[in-house]
Amino acid sequence: MKKFAGLLAATSLLLTSAAFSSGAMAQDWPDEEKVVSVVVPFAAGGGTDTAFRQLTEEVKKYLPARVQIVNISGAGSAKGTNEMLQMPADGYAVLASGTHTIGATMQGLTPGYDQLDQILGLNWDPFIVAVLKSRPYKDFDGLVAAAKEKPGSICLGNAGMGGATGLASVGINLKFDRAFNVTPFNGGQNLRADVLGGRCEAGIFSQSEILANAEELQPLVVLYENRSTLDALSHVPTLAETGHGDLAVPGGSYKSLAVHKDVPADVKKILADTFAQAFKSEAYAEFMANNGVIADFSEGDAAEAYFQSLVEGFEPLVREAGLYNKK
Amino acid sequence: MTDILSGLDLIMNAQTIFWVVVGSILGIILGALPGLTATMGVALMLPITFYLPTATGMALLISVYTGAVSGASIPAILLGIPGNPNALATVEDGYKLAQKGLGSLALGSAALASLIGGFLSLLILSFFAPFLAQATLAFGPAEKFMLAFLGMAVIAAVTSKDLSKGVMMAALGVCLSLIGTDPFTNAPRMPFADVLSSTPLQSGIKLIPALIGLFGISQVLYDLERLKTGNLAMPQVKMVYPFPTMKKLCQMWRVILESTGIGTVIGAIPGTGASIAVFLSHERAKHITNKPGSKLDKVGTGSVEGVFAPEIANNAVTGGALIPVLTLGIPGDAVTAVLLGALLVKGIVPGHELFVSNMPLVYSIFFGMGLSLIAMFVFQMAGIRLFPKVLGIPPSLLIPIVAMLSFVGTYAVDGQAPLTATYNMGVAFALGVFGYLMKKADYPVSPLVLGLILGQMLEENLRLAVKLAQGSYLTFVQSPIALTMLVGVTLALLLPRLRKQKKA
Repeated sequence: MKKFAGLLAATSLLLTSAAFSSGAMAQDWPDEEKVVSVVVPFAAGGGTDTAFRQLTEEVKKYLPARVQIVNISGAGSAKGTNEMLQMPADGYAVLASGTHTIGATMQGLTPGYDQLDQILGLNWDPFIVAVLKSRPYKDFDGLVAAAKEKPGSICLGNAGMGGATGLASVGINLKFDRAFNVTPFNGGQNLRADVLGGRCEAGIFSQSEILANAEELQPLVVLYENRSTLDALSHVPTLAETGHGDLAVPGGSYKSLAVHKDVPADVKKILADTFAQAFKSEAYAEFMANNGVIADFSEGDAAEAYFQSLVEGFEPLVREAGLYNKK
Repeated sequence: MTDILSGLDLIMNAQTIFWVVVGSILGIILGALPGLTATMGVALMLPITFYLPTATGMALLISVYTGAVSGASIPAILLGIPGNPNALATVEDGYKLAQKGLGSLALGSAALASLIGGFLSLLILSFFAPFLAQATLAFGPAEKFMLAFLGMAVIAAVTSKDLSKGVMMAALGVCLSLIGTDPFTNAPRMPFADVLSSTPLQSGIKLIPALIGLFGISQVLYDLERLKTGNLAMPQVKMVYPFPTMKKLCQMWRVILESTGIGTVIGAIPGTGASIAVFLSHERAKHITNKPGSKLDKVGTGSVEGVFAPEIANNAVTGGALIPVLTLGIPGDAVTAVLLGALLVKGIVPGHELFVSNMPLVYSIFFGMGLSLIAMFVFQMAGIRLFPKVLGIPPSLLIPIVAMLSFVGTYAVDGQAPLTATYNMGVAFALGVFGYLMKKADYPVSPLVLGLILGQMLEENLRLAVKLAQGSYLTFVQSPIALTMLVGVTLALLLPRLRKQKKA
């Protein structure tokens, strides 16, 4: 019994030390003993994940504390966003934010951007609709015709309903009288596996995903306003060029870095400066160039303002798609 | 070929070798101490891997795993008590050998068999690995769902004499995995959602705290009862030449190959695991050695053959168990679930792309396994004289250490936010108490664990498969792979019952 009491004492000691360690703040940020979690609200291996992993690798060189990616996937980025918002607003949790945050917030899945501050705007990753090469559809119109012929029979996959690919797929589907079976996968990795495995006909991908599977995938149309900056994909037509210029969908995924809005201003500044330094590194520039990612940098208030302009642009799209459910 | 070389490059460094040594010794000790399991050791080591390169971290975890698998044979041989289920079938012949005064021969044979079994299954794994990439594409949501379901059915059927208990525990595990939020709509899933959805409960029950609770803390509670019983009498190990002769090894070729095959295949099926493989291989070895004209010693009488068969099989299981994890991301048991977690933290996603674009890492995992097998063998042999002392560690010292490690490990795994970490410790404690009560009531805990591990995978793949099939549940019987597995599920659930009726 004495021993059991000792055990209880040890346990309670641990609990108390846990309760006390949460005090310290701002002036000596970051505490080298602590870990800065970069919450990626998607499964590992997708476009957002890859982009932030590359960035985090660079950040590690400039930040004395340990930086770690934490993948919390589910509900098209809403789950990870919510969990990140639950963490203490001390700057040790940052969110891989962007268009997916807008989509998830407007669908009422998370308080999202209302409780976040965008501290850095990063880049755009244009979307491409692609199918397996062995499929009979040679262009976007061919795919649409096949879907219209037998409504619901053609799967149009996205990487999660809350995200920008989700909105894009819903937008496309609405435009063509709901002819597609819009299917949300848990992240780009799962979407790729099922398109490559022949279980889902078409998917909305980022360029890097197409490049990695260039032998199997046939890109049909770029959703972004301009053609790809990559030689290998510059032949793919844009929506306007295929005669669907009136189709207003998110043309790509925008990525930004966000923290809880209650994070002290000086901590926000340190985080923004460090991540900006990583963003401007040679290695990250090379990563963006190789993957056709288009830099669109903004910092501090400018980042927040740019994000707000995107929010305004998205609202009619989300309403039109019948997904607007913001509380 | 360049893939293999760059894989070797990832693993051949002082840091990796250091951690493999640490992992092996720790694994052997954990395996040897009855009640402590590979799962707990691997779960406790997981936070360390966050600081290590991927290949090194995996090598560390795998060395704890292989160490614990073979370490379990030590008390089985010396005391007749298996350290964990891996050594269930080693007891019969190993203990008899030890009583004949051939303890060191039994221990040496067990170590050698572990080495051989591990390496043979590793060979099989690396030979097939390049072909696995294509095979993974054949697995869609319907197939993945059925595979996970098969794993649950098998474990429910094999871990308890009473099938209904196994099924109940598996179902409870799935229910626990559903706590948190809906993976598609983010709707809260918990009682009093208005209040509780803004607590850490929204992230549900995380795997590591659950495992540490069910395997570490419940064992602590269980062992508290042992405090009153005195220490076990330790046998002295007399040193004789610890290995069977070369001639004997050659004669045993069939036992060796069949046990490897059994271990690898059983290991690759989710939910099955070592306890089935060791009994099957022991039975097969009995059959082979009992054939008229066989020059081998009969299994069951205290023979080297009877130690070899299960010890080869349980290490072959480790190689087989990596197959579904690396190809489909479906862990077959708690240990491989932790291995999977370690990979995902590093952004390595098992599946098609791992084999297409990251073969060096796959090979580095294989090399890490080879390295950990060698370390395991070396330390098993070096430690023969020390083992009786390890087994003599009094529970009054062991219990507080395990309890402390359990809580520290739980706190560290999600370590930055005190609220989450405290919540995780609460989960570990609650499940620890629950696991203890279930053990007392004779309900199997492993189906619960597998339900918890596979629950989310089951749900997501079920919903996705039905969505892809435009709402039709027939998709599960239309795919030949899924249909085969459905037959497997039926067999797993019906066979024990039929056998019982036959006996009656």
